[in-house]
Amino acid sequence: MTNTLHRRGTRDSLKNDYVVFSLPARSVNAQGSAPKVQEFMRICLKYNPVNMGDGRHGNVLKDNVDIQEFIAQKKDGEMAAAVFTDMEAVQKVIAELIEADLGISINVSGLLEEVQTCCRKGGIERHSVEHSLGIWGAKDRLPERETLEVNTLCGHGLVSFNLIRKMVEYVKLRRLTAEEAAGTLAKCCECGVFNPVRAEQLLLKMVKKE
Amino acid sequence: MEIDKEKCVGCGNCHAVCTMGAIYLEEDGKSVANQEECVECSTCYRFLRNEGYMPWLVRAVRKVLSAFRLGYLAKVDVCPTGALTPPELKWPRSIRAAFSDPIVVHPGTGIGGRGTEEIKCNEVTGRIRKGEAGLVVEMGRPGTGAYFRDIEKVAMALAPLGPFFEPKNPVIQLLEDPKTGKIKGEVLGEKVLSAIIEMKTSLERIPEILQALEKVQKEIDTVISVGVSSRCLADGTIPHMEWVRKAGYSLSPNGKTNIGLGRPRFQED
Repeated sequence: MTNTLHRRGTRDSLKNDYVVFSLPARSVNAQGSAPKVQEFMRICLKYNPVNMGDGRHGNVLKDNVDIQEFIAQKKDGEMAAAVFTDMEAVQKVIAELIEADLGISINVSGLLEEVQTCCRKGGIERHSVEHSLGIWGAKDRLPERETLEVNTLCGHGLVSFNLIRKMVEYVKLRRLTAEEAAGTLAKCCECGVFNPVRAEQLLLKMVKKE
Repeated sequence: MEIDKEKCVGCGNCHAVCTMGAIYLEEDGKSVANQEECVECSTCYRFLRNEGYMPWLVRAVRKVLSAFRLGYLAKVDVCPTGALTPPELKWPRSIRAAFSDPIVVHPGTGIGGRGTEEIKCNEVTGRIRKGEAGLVVEMGRPGTGAYFRDIEKVAMALAPLGPFFEPKNPVIQLLEDPKTGKIKGEVLGEKVLSAIIEMKTSLERIPEILQALEKVQKEIDTVISVGVSSRCLADGTIPHMEWVRKAGYSLSPNGKTNIGLGRPRFQED
Protein backbone atom coordinates (compact mmCIF):
# COMPACT_ATOMS: atom_id res chain seq x y z
CA MET A 1 0.00 0.00 0.00
CA THR A 2 1.30 3.43 -0.92
CA ASN A 3 -2.05 5.10 -0.33
CA THR A 4 -1.02 8.28 1.41
CA LEU A 5 2.47 8.62 -0.02
CA HIS A 6 1.77 10.53 -3.21
CA ARG A 7 -0.40 13.39 -1.96
CA ARG A 8 0.52 16.34 -4.10
CA GLY A 9 0.69 20.01 -3.32
CA THR A 10 2.87 22.90 -2.32
CA ARG A 11 4.55 22.88 1.08
CA ASP A 12 2.04 25.49 2.18
CA SER A 13 -0.96 23.46 1.09
CA LEU A 14 0.42 20.29 2.69
CA LYS A 15 0.69 22.05 6.03
CA ASN A 16 -2.93 21.21 6.81
CA ASP A 17 -2.89 17.61 5.67
CA TYR A 18 -1.74 14.78 7.94
CA VAL A 19 -2.85 11.17 8.00
CA VAL A 20 -2.14 9.05 11.06
CA PHE A 21 -2.78 5.34 10.65
CA SER A 22 -2.26 2.08 12.45
CA LEU A 23 -1.54 -1.25 10.82
CA PRO A 24 -0.91 -4.56 12.56
CA ALA A 25 1.65 -6.76 10.75
CA ARG A 26 -0.11 -9.88 9.45
CA SER A 27 2.69 -12.27 10.25
CA VAL A 28 3.70 -10.76 13.61
CA ASN A 29 1.14 -8.96 15.75
CA ALA A 30 -2.21 -9.09 13.93
CA GLN A 31 -3.66 -11.63 16.31
CA GLY A 32 -5.42 -9.87 19.16
CA SER A 33 -4.92 -6.46 17.51
CA ALA A 34 -8.61 -5.44 17.33
CA PRO A 35 -8.79 -3.78 20.79
CA LYS A 36 -5.50 -1.98 20.08
CA VAL A 37 -6.77 -0.56 16.79
CA GLN A 38 -10.02 0.42 18.52
CA GLU A 39 -8.01 2.26 21.17
CA PHE A 40 -6.00 3.93 18.41
CA MET A 41 -9.25 5.21 16.90
CA ARG A 42 -10.54 6.43 20.25
CA ILE A 43 -7.32 8.36 20.83
CA CYS A 44 -7.53 9.94 17.38
CA LEU A 45 -11.18 10.81 17.88
CA LYS A 46 -10.35 12.98 20.90
CA TYR A 47 -8.44 15.41 18.68
CA ASN A 48 -11.16 16.11 16.11
CA PRO A 49 -10.02 14.35 12.95
CA VAL A 50 -11.72 15.59 9.77
CA ASN A 51 -12.08 12.03 8.47
CA MET A 52 -11.57 8.47 9.69
CA GLY A 53 -11.96 5.04 8.19
CA ASP A 54 -10.47 1.83 6.95
CA GLY A 55 -10.47 -0.20 3.77
CA ARG A 56 -12.95 -2.77 5.07
CA HIS A 57 -15.85 -0.72 6.47
CA GLY A 58 -15.51 2.53 4.54
CA ASN A 59 -15.23 6.03 6.00
CA VAL A 60 -17.11 7.88 8.71
CA LEU A 61 -18.31 10.65 6.36
CA LYS A 62 -20.74 8.33 4.63
CA ASP A 63 -24.42 8.72 5.44
CA ASN A 64 -25.69 7.44 8.80
CA VAL A 65 -22.39 6.23 10.28
CA ASP A 66 -22.30 5.94 14.06
CA ILE A 67 -18.66 6.46 15.03
CA GLN A 68 -18.80 4.30 18.17
CA GLU A 69 -20.38 1.43 16.24
CA PHE A 70 -17.78 1.93 13.54
CA ILE A 71 -14.98 1.53 16.09
CA ALA A 72 -16.63 -1.43 17.80
CA GLN A 73 -16.79 -3.49 14.59
CA LYS A 74 -12.99 -3.50 14.10
CA LYS A 75 -11.49 -6.97 13.85
CA ASP A 76 -8.00 -8.40 14.26
CA GLY A 77 -5.57 -7.41 11.52
CA GLU A 78 -7.53 -4.41 10.25
CA MET A 79 -5.98 -0.99 9.72
CA ALA A 80 -7.47 2.37 10.68
CA ALA A 81 -6.71 5.92 9.59
CA ALA A 82 -7.51 9.43 10.80
CA VAL A 83 -6.95 12.74 9.00
CA PHE A 84 -5.92 15.94 10.78
CA THR A 85 -5.52 19.48 9.54
CA ASP A 86 -3.07 20.85 12.09
CA MET A 87 0.25 19.79 13.45
CA GLU A 88 -0.71 20.62 17.01
CA ALA A 89 -3.37 17.90 16.99
CA VAL A 90 -0.96 15.43 15.39
CA GLN A 91 1.58 16.22 18.09
CA LYS A 92 -0.97 15.43 20.80
CA VAL A 93 -2.11 12.24 19.06
CA ILE A 94 1.47 10.99 18.73
CA ALA A 95 2.25 11.85 22.36
CA GLU A 96 -0.80 9.92 23.53
CA LEU A 97 -0.04 6.96 21.27
CA ILE A 98 3.50 6.77 22.67
CA GLU A 99 2.05 6.85 26.17
CA ALA A 100 -0.57 4.20 25.34
CA ASP A 101 2.14 1.85 23.97
CA LEU A 102 -0.33 -0.21 21.94
CA GLY A 103 2.39 -2.29 20.29
CA ILE A 104 1.06 -1.92 16.73
CA SER A 105 2.76 0.02 13.94
CA ILE A 106 1.81 3.68 13.63
CA ASN A 107 2.60 5.73 10.55
CA VAL A 108 2.13 9.40 9.79
CA SER A 109 1.89 10.84 6.29
CA GLY A 110 2.65 14.51 5.90
CA LEU A 111 5.49 17.00 5.82
CA LEU A 112 8.45 14.89 6.93
CA GLU A 113 10.32 17.53 8.92
CA GLU A 114 7.21 18.40 10.90
CA VAL A 115 6.53 14.75 11.68
CA GLN A 116 10.12 14.27 12.80
CA THR A 117 9.78 17.23 15.15
CA CYS A 118 6.63 15.63 16.59
CA CYS A 119 8.45 12.35 17.19
CA ARG A 120 11.34 14.09 18.93
CA LYS A 121 9.00 16.09 21.14
CA GLY A 122 7.52 12.74 22.17
CA GLY A 123 10.99 11.42 22.94
CA ILE A 124 11.32 8.97 20.05
CA GLU A 125 13.23 8.88 16.76
CA ARG A 126 11.47 7.88 13.53
CA HIS A 127 12.07 4.31 12.33
CA SER A 128 11.56 4.29 8.55
CA VAL A 129 10.67 6.87 5.94
CA GLU A 130 9.26 6.74 2.43
CA HIS A 131 9.47 9.59 -0.09
CA SER A 132 7.56 10.15 -3.30
CA LEU A 133 9.64 10.74 -6.40
CA GLY A 134 6.63 12.16 -8.19
CA ILE A 135 4.85 11.16 -11.34
CA TRP A 136 6.63 9.61 -14.30
CA GLY A 137 5.50 8.26 -17.67
CA ALA A 138 2.69 9.64 -19.85
CA LYS A 139 2.15 12.85 -17.89
CA ASP A 140 0.29 14.40 -20.81
CA ARG A 141 -2.67 12.26 -19.73
CA LEU A 142 -2.98 14.11 -16.43
CA PRO A 143 -5.39 16.94 -15.63
CA GLU A 144 -4.64 20.40 -14.22
CA ARG A 145 -2.69 20.72 -10.96
CA GLU A 146 -5.51 21.37 -8.50
CA THR A 147 -7.61 18.47 -9.82
CA LEU A 148 -4.60 16.23 -9.35
CA GLU A 149 -4.13 17.50 -5.81
CA VAL A 150 -7.71 16.60 -4.94
CA ASN A 151 -7.49 13.22 -6.70
CA THR A 152 -4.36 12.20 -4.78
CA LEU A 153 -6.11 12.77 -1.46
CA CYS A 154 -7.59 9.31 -2.05
CA GLY A 155 -4.72 6.85 -2.32
CA HIS A 156 -6.73 4.28 -4.21
CA GLY A 157 -7.68 6.85 -6.85
CA LEU A 158 -11.42 6.42 -6.29
CA VAL A 159 -12.19 10.14 -6.64
CA SER A 160 -12.34 10.57 -10.39
CA PHE A 161 -11.02 13.58 -12.27
CA ASN A 162 -14.49 14.03 -13.82
CA LEU A 163 -16.30 14.06 -10.48
CA ILE A 164 -13.90 16.73 -9.21
CA ARG A 165 -14.62 18.84 -12.30
CA LYS A 166 -18.36 18.28 -11.83
CA MET A 167 -18.11 19.47 -8.22
CA VAL A 168 -16.27 22.63 -9.35
CA GLU A 169 -19.16 23.26 -11.76
CA TYR A 170 -21.74 22.66 -9.02
CA VAL A 171 -20.00 25.10 -6.68
CA LYS A 172 -19.81 27.68 -9.46
CA LEU A 173 -23.53 27.29 -10.16
CA ARG A 174 -24.27 27.36 -6.41
CA ARG A 175 -25.93 23.99 -6.52
CA LEU A 176 -23.61 22.94 -3.70
CA THR A 177 -21.37 24.82 -1.31
CA ALA A 178 -17.66 24.03 -1.51
CA GLU A 179 -17.98 22.24 1.83
CA GLU A 180 -20.83 20.05 0.56
CA ALA A 181 -18.97 19.33 -2.66
CA ALA A 182 -15.83 18.30 -0.74
CA GLY A 183 -17.96 16.10 1.52
CA THR A 184 -19.46 14.45 -1.55
CA LEU A 185 -16.00 13.69 -2.95
CA ALA A 186 -14.91 12.29 0.43
CA LYS A 187 -17.60 9.62 0.25
CA CYS A 188 -15.81 7.95 -2.68
CA CYS A 189 -12.64 7.31 -0.66
CA GLU A 190 -13.16 4.02 1.16
CA CYS A 191 -10.19 4.17 3.55
CA GLY A 192 -11.14 7.55 5.00
CA VAL A 193 -7.80 9.20 4.19
CA PHE A 194 -9.40 11.91 2.03
CA ASN A 195 -9.05 15.35 3.60
CA PRO A 196 -12.34 17.22 2.98
CA VAL A 197 -11.05 20.47 4.46
CA ARG A 198 -8.11 20.65 2.06
CA ALA A 199 -10.39 19.54 -0.79
CA GLU A 200 -12.79 22.40 0.03
CA GLN A 201 -9.95 24.92 -0.17
CA LEU A 202 -8.79 23.47 -3.48
CA LEU A 203 -12.32 23.52 -4.93
CA LEU A 204 -12.68 27.19 -3.99
CA LYS A 205 -9.35 27.91 -5.63
CA MET A 206 -10.49 26.19 -8.83
CA VAL A 207 -13.80 28.05 -8.83
CA LYS A 208 -12.02 31.39 -8.55
CA LYS A 209 -9.52 30.43 -11.22
CA GLU A 210 -12.14 29.57 -13.82
CA MET B 1 -19.75 -3.00 -13.91
CA GLU B 2 -22.89 -3.63 -15.83
CA ILE B 3 -25.83 -1.30 -16.23
CA ASP B 4 -29.32 -2.78 -16.44
CA LYS B 5 -30.85 -1.32 -19.60
CA GLU B 6 -34.36 -2.05 -18.34
CA LYS B 7 -33.76 0.09 -15.28
CA CYS B 8 -31.45 2.86 -16.53
CA VAL B 9 -33.16 6.22 -17.03
CA GLY B 10 -30.07 7.93 -18.45
CA CYS B 11 -29.61 10.48 -15.66
CA GLY B 12 -25.84 10.35 -16.25
CA ASN B 13 -24.83 10.50 -12.58
CA CYS B 14 -22.58 7.47 -12.98
CA HIS B 15 -20.59 9.05 -15.83
CA ALA B 16 -18.62 11.51 -13.70
CA VAL B 17 -18.17 9.08 -10.81
CA CYS B 18 -16.47 6.46 -12.99
CA THR B 19 -12.75 6.48 -12.13
CA MET B 20 -11.84 5.60 -15.71
CA GLY B 21 -14.43 7.73 -17.52
CA ALA B 22 -15.70 4.47 -19.01
CA ILE B 23 -19.47 5.11 -18.73
CA TYR B 24 -21.28 6.97 -21.50
CA LEU B 25 -24.73 7.55 -22.91
CA GLU B 26 -25.78 5.44 -25.88
CA GLU B 27 -28.07 6.57 -28.66
CA ASP B 28 -31.05 5.00 -26.89
CA GLY B 29 -30.55 7.47 -24.02
CA LYS B 30 -29.28 4.85 -21.58
CA SER B 31 -25.88 4.56 -19.98
CA VAL B 32 -23.43 1.81 -20.77
CA ALA B 33 -20.02 0.87 -19.33
CA ASN B 34 -17.19 0.27 -21.78
CA GLN B 35 -16.08 -3.19 -20.61
CA GLU B 36 -12.60 -2.77 -22.07
CA GLU B 37 -11.94 0.36 -19.99
CA CYS B 38 -13.91 -0.52 -16.80
CA VAL B 39 -11.52 -1.67 -14.05
CA GLU B 40 -14.28 -3.11 -11.80
CA CYS B 41 -13.47 -0.75 -8.91
CA SER B 42 -17.23 -0.59 -8.07
CA THR B 43 -16.95 3.06 -7.01
CA CYS B 44 -20.12 3.89 -8.99
CA TYR B 45 -22.04 1.08 -7.28
CA ARG B 46 -20.98 2.09 -3.76
CA PHE B 47 -21.16 5.86 -4.20
CA LEU B 48 -24.53 6.13 -5.94
CA ARG B 49 -27.35 5.34 -3.54
CA ASN B 50 -30.13 3.28 -5.04
CA GLU B 51 -33.27 5.42 -4.68
CA GLY B 52 -35.37 2.44 -5.69
CA TYR B 53 -37.80 4.27 -7.98
CA MET B 54 -39.66 2.39 -10.67
CA PRO B 55 -38.06 3.23 -14.05
CA TRP B 56 -41.45 3.83 -15.73
CA LEU B 57 -42.36 6.35 -13.03
CA VAL B 58 -39.11 8.32 -13.44
CA ARG B 59 -39.53 8.35 -17.22
CA ALA B 60 -43.18 9.45 -16.95
CA VAL B 61 -42.37 12.28 -14.52
CA ARG B 62 -39.60 13.47 -16.81
CA LYS B 63 -41.90 13.42 -19.81
CA VAL B 64 -44.47 15.54 -17.99
CA LEU B 65 -41.80 17.99 -16.79
CA SER B 66 -40.28 18.32 -20.26
CA ALA B 67 -43.72 19.12 -21.68
CA PHE B 68 -43.63 22.20 -19.49
CA ARG B 69 -39.99 22.83 -20.43
CA LEU B 70 -38.92 21.89 -16.92
CA GLY B 71 -36.21 19.52 -15.84
CA TYR B 72 -35.50 17.51 -12.72
CA LEU B 73 -32.00 17.62 -11.34
CA ALA B 74 -31.26 14.52 -9.28
CA LYS B 75 -28.81 14.61 -6.37
CA VAL B 76 -25.28 13.80 -7.52
CA ASP B 77 -24.91 10.73 -5.34
CA VAL B 78 -27.92 8.69 -6.40
CA CYS B 79 -28.87 6.15 -9.02
CA PRO B 80 -32.66 6.73 -9.15
CA THR B 81 -33.52 3.19 -10.21
CA GLY B 82 -30.62 1.04 -8.96
CA ALA B 83 -29.49 0.19 -12.49
CA LEU B 84 -25.86 -0.50 -11.61
CA THR B 85 -25.29 -4.24 -11.38
CA PRO B 86 -21.94 -5.68 -10.26
CA PRO B 87 -21.28 -8.76 -12.41
CA GLU B 88 -19.87 -12.06 -11.22
CA LEU B 89 -16.29 -11.87 -12.41
CA LYS B 90 -14.41 -14.84 -13.75
CA TRP B 91 -10.66 -15.23 -14.22
CA PRO B 92 -8.80 -13.36 -15.65
CA ARG B 93 -11.26 -10.43 -15.47
CA SER B 94 -11.57 -10.96 -11.70
CA ILE B 95 -8.05 -9.59 -11.37
CA ARG B 96 -9.42 -6.13 -12.23
CA ALA B 97 -11.47 -6.02 -9.01
CA ALA B 98 -8.65 -7.57 -6.94
CA PHE B 99 -6.37 -4.66 -7.88
CA SER B 100 -8.89 -1.85 -8.24
CA ASP B 101 -11.50 -2.31 -5.52
CA PRO B 102 -10.05 -1.80 -2.02
CA ILE B 103 -13.01 -3.66 -0.52
CA VAL B 104 -12.03 -6.86 -2.32
CA VAL B 105 -9.50 -8.90 -0.37
CA HIS B 106 -6.68 -9.81 -2.73
CA PRO B 107 -6.33 -13.61 -2.85
CA GLY B 108 -2.52 -13.32 -2.95
CA THR B 109 -2.00 -10.98 0.03
CA GLY B 110 -5.02 -11.61 2.23
CA ILE B 111 -5.60 -7.85 2.54
CA GLY B 112 -7.73 -5.41 0.61
CA GLY B 113 -6.21 -3.35 -2.19
CA ARG B 114 -3.21 -3.77 -4.40
CA GLY B 115 -0.26 -3.45 -2.04
CA THR B 116 1.51 -4.95 0.94
CA GLU B 117 2.71 -3.72 4.33
CA GLU B 118 6.02 -2.49 2.83
CA ILE B 119 7.65 -0.08 5.37
CA LYS B 120 4.49 0.45 7.35
CA CYS B 121 5.34 -2.38 9.75
CA ASN B 122 9.09 -2.32 9.16
CA GLU B 123 10.02 -2.13 12.83
CA VAL B 124 8.41 -5.54 13.41
CA THR B 125 8.86 -7.26 10.03
CA GLY B 126 12.37 -6.04 9.16
CA ARG B 127 11.40 -5.96 5.51
CA ILE B 128 13.74 -3.07 4.65
CA ARG B 129 16.97 -3.41 6.64
CA LYS B 130 20.11 -1.33 7.16
CA GLY B 131 21.79 -0.56 3.86
CA GLU B 132 18.68 -1.41 1.85
CA ALA B 133 16.18 0.68 -0.08
CA GLY B 134 12.59 -0.17 -0.85
CA LEU B 135 11.20 0.95 -4.20
CA VAL B 136 7.54 1.09 -5.17
CA VAL B 137 6.60 1.65 -8.78
CA GLU B 138 2.87 2.24 -8.92
CA MET B 139 1.55 2.10 -12.44
CA GLY B 140 -1.69 3.80 -13.49
CA ARG B 141 -1.70 6.19 -10.57
CA PRO B 142 -2.96 8.88 -10.45
CA GLY B 143 -6.32 8.34 -12.11
CA THR B 144 -5.17 6.82 -15.40
CA GLY B 145 -5.25 3.04 -14.97
CA ALA B 146 -2.78 0.55 -16.39
CA TYR B 147 -2.87 -2.52 -18.59
CA PHE B 148 -0.72 -5.45 -17.53
CA ARG B 149 1.01 -5.29 -20.91
CA ASP B 150 2.48 -1.94 -19.79
CA ILE B 151 3.22 -3.24 -16.31
CA GLU B 152 5.14 -6.10 -17.94
CA LYS B 153 7.29 -3.66 -19.94
CA VAL B 154 8.41 -2.00 -16.71
CA ALA B 155 8.91 -5.30 -14.86
CA MET B 156 11.04 -6.57 -17.76
CA ALA B 157 13.15 -3.41 -17.74
CA LEU B 158 13.82 -3.77 -14.00
CA ALA B 159 14.29 -7.54 -13.72
CA PRO B 160 17.74 -7.72 -15.41
CA LEU B 161 19.08 -5.42 -12.67
CA GLY B 162 18.33 -8.16 -10.15
CA PRO B 163 16.32 -6.35 -7.48
CA PHE B 164 14.64 -8.48 -4.84
CA PHE B 165 11.01 -8.51 -5.90
CA GLU B 166 8.71 -8.66 -2.86
CA PRO B 167 7.09 -12.13 -3.09
CA LYS B 168 3.93 -11.05 -1.22
CA ASN B 169 3.25 -8.28 -3.72
CA PRO B 170 0.25 -9.01 -6.01
CA VAL B 171 2.07 -8.02 -9.22
CA ILE B 172 5.11 -10.13 -8.36
CA GLN B 173 2.79 -13.09 -7.84
CA LEU B 174 1.73 -12.71 -11.48
CA LEU B 175 5.29 -12.95 -12.81
CA GLU B 176 6.03 -16.08 -14.81
CA ASP B 177 9.67 -15.67 -13.86
CA PRO B 178 11.10 -12.92 -11.59
CA LYS B 179 14.38 -13.14 -13.50
CA THR B 180 12.78 -11.93 -16.73
CA GLY B 181 9.87 -9.87 -15.38
CA LYS B 182 7.52 -11.60 -17.79
CA ILE B 183 3.89 -11.62 -16.66
CA LYS B 184 1.44 -14.48 -17.19
CA GLY B 185 0.03 -14.14 -20.70
CA GLU B 186 -3.63 -14.48 -19.79
CA VAL B 187 -3.67 -11.22 -17.78
CA LEU B 188 -1.78 -8.94 -20.19
CA GLY B 189 -5.01 -7.56 -21.69
CA GLU B 190 -6.53 -6.76 -18.29
CA LYS B 191 -6.71 -3.19 -17.05
CA VAL B 192 -6.55 -2.12 -13.39
CA LEU B 193 -6.87 1.20 -11.58
CA SER B 194 -3.28 0.83 -10.44
CA ALA B 195 -0.74 -1.86 -9.65
CA ILE B 196 2.48 -1.69 -7.67
CA ILE B 197 5.77 -3.32 -8.55
CA GLU B 198 7.47 -3.58 -5.18
CA MET B 199 11.14 -4.41 -4.72
CA LYS B 200 14.19 -3.77 -2.62
CA THR B 201 17.83 -3.32 -3.43
CA SER B 202 20.99 -2.00 -1.82
CA LEU B 203 21.09 1.78 -1.36
CA GLU B 204 23.92 2.28 -3.85
CA ARG B 205 21.87 0.65 -6.60
CA ILE B 206 19.07 3.23 -6.39
CA PRO B 207 20.51 5.31 -9.28
CA GLU B 208 20.69 2.29 -11.55
CA ILE B 209 17.05 1.34 -10.92
CA LEU B 210 15.86 4.92 -11.44
CA GLN B 211 17.80 5.20 -14.69
CA ALA B 212 16.15 2.00 -15.98
CA LEU B 213 12.76 3.47 -15.06
CA GLU B 214 13.64 6.74 -16.75
CA LYS B 215 14.25 4.85 -19.95
CA VAL B 216 11.21 2.58 -19.95
CA GLN B 217 8.71 5.32 -18.95
CA LYS B 218 8.77 6.56 -22.55
CA GLU B 219 7.48 3.22 -23.83
CA ILE B 220 4.30 3.04 -21.80
CA ASP B 221 0.88 4.61 -22.21
CA THR B 222 0.20 5.42 -18.58
CA VAL B 223 1.61 7.27 -15.60
CA ILE B 224 3.75 5.93 -12.78
CA SER B 225 4.02 7.14 -9.19
CA VAL B 226 7.42 6.25 -7.82
CA GLY B 227 8.37 5.91 -4.14
CA VAL B 228 11.57 5.09 -2.28
CA SER B 229 12.06 4.13 1.36
CA SER B 230 14.68 3.09 3.87
CA ARG B 231 15.22 2.41 7.53
CA CYS B 232 16.46 5.53 9.32
CA LEU B 233 19.77 5.73 11.15
CA ALA B 234 19.80 6.09 14.93
CA ASP B 235 19.76 9.90 14.65
CA GLY B 236 16.78 9.88 12.29
CA THR B 237 18.80 10.46 9.10
CA ILE B 238 17.17 8.99 5.98
CA PRO B 239 19.85 7.01 4.10
CA HIS B 240 18.17 6.89 0.68
CA MET B 241 18.10 10.69 0.32
CA GLU B 242 21.77 10.90 -0.54
CA TRP B 243 21.49 8.24 -3.25
CA VAL B 244 18.38 9.69 -4.84
CA ARG B 245 20.00 13.13 -5.00
CA LYS B 246 23.20 11.64 -6.41
CA ALA B 247 21.10 10.15 -9.18
CA GLY B 248 19.74 13.63 -9.95
CA TYR B 249 16.17 13.30 -8.71
CA SER B 250 14.30 15.49 -6.27
CA LEU B 251 12.37 14.27 -3.25
CA SER B 252 8.94 15.33 -2.06
CA PRO B 253 8.74 17.45 1.12
CA ASN B 254 6.02 15.11 2.37
CA GLY B 255 6.05 11.37 2.76
CA LYS B 256 5.30 8.52 5.06
CA THR B 257 6.96 8.06 8.44
CA ASN B 258 6.82 4.84 10.41
CA ILE B 259 7.32 6.15 13.94
CA GLY B 260 8.40 2.74 15.24
CA LEU B 261 5.86 1.87 17.94
CA GLY B 262 5.18 -1.75 16.86
CA ARG B 263 6.19 -4.70 19.06
CA PRO B 264 8.00 -7.07 19.19
CA ARG B 265 10.83 -5.22 17.45
CA PHE B 266 12.58 -7.03 14.63
CA GLN B 267 16.18 -7.64 15.62
CA GLU B 268 18.74 -7.29 12.87
CA ASP B 269 21.92 -9.41 13.06
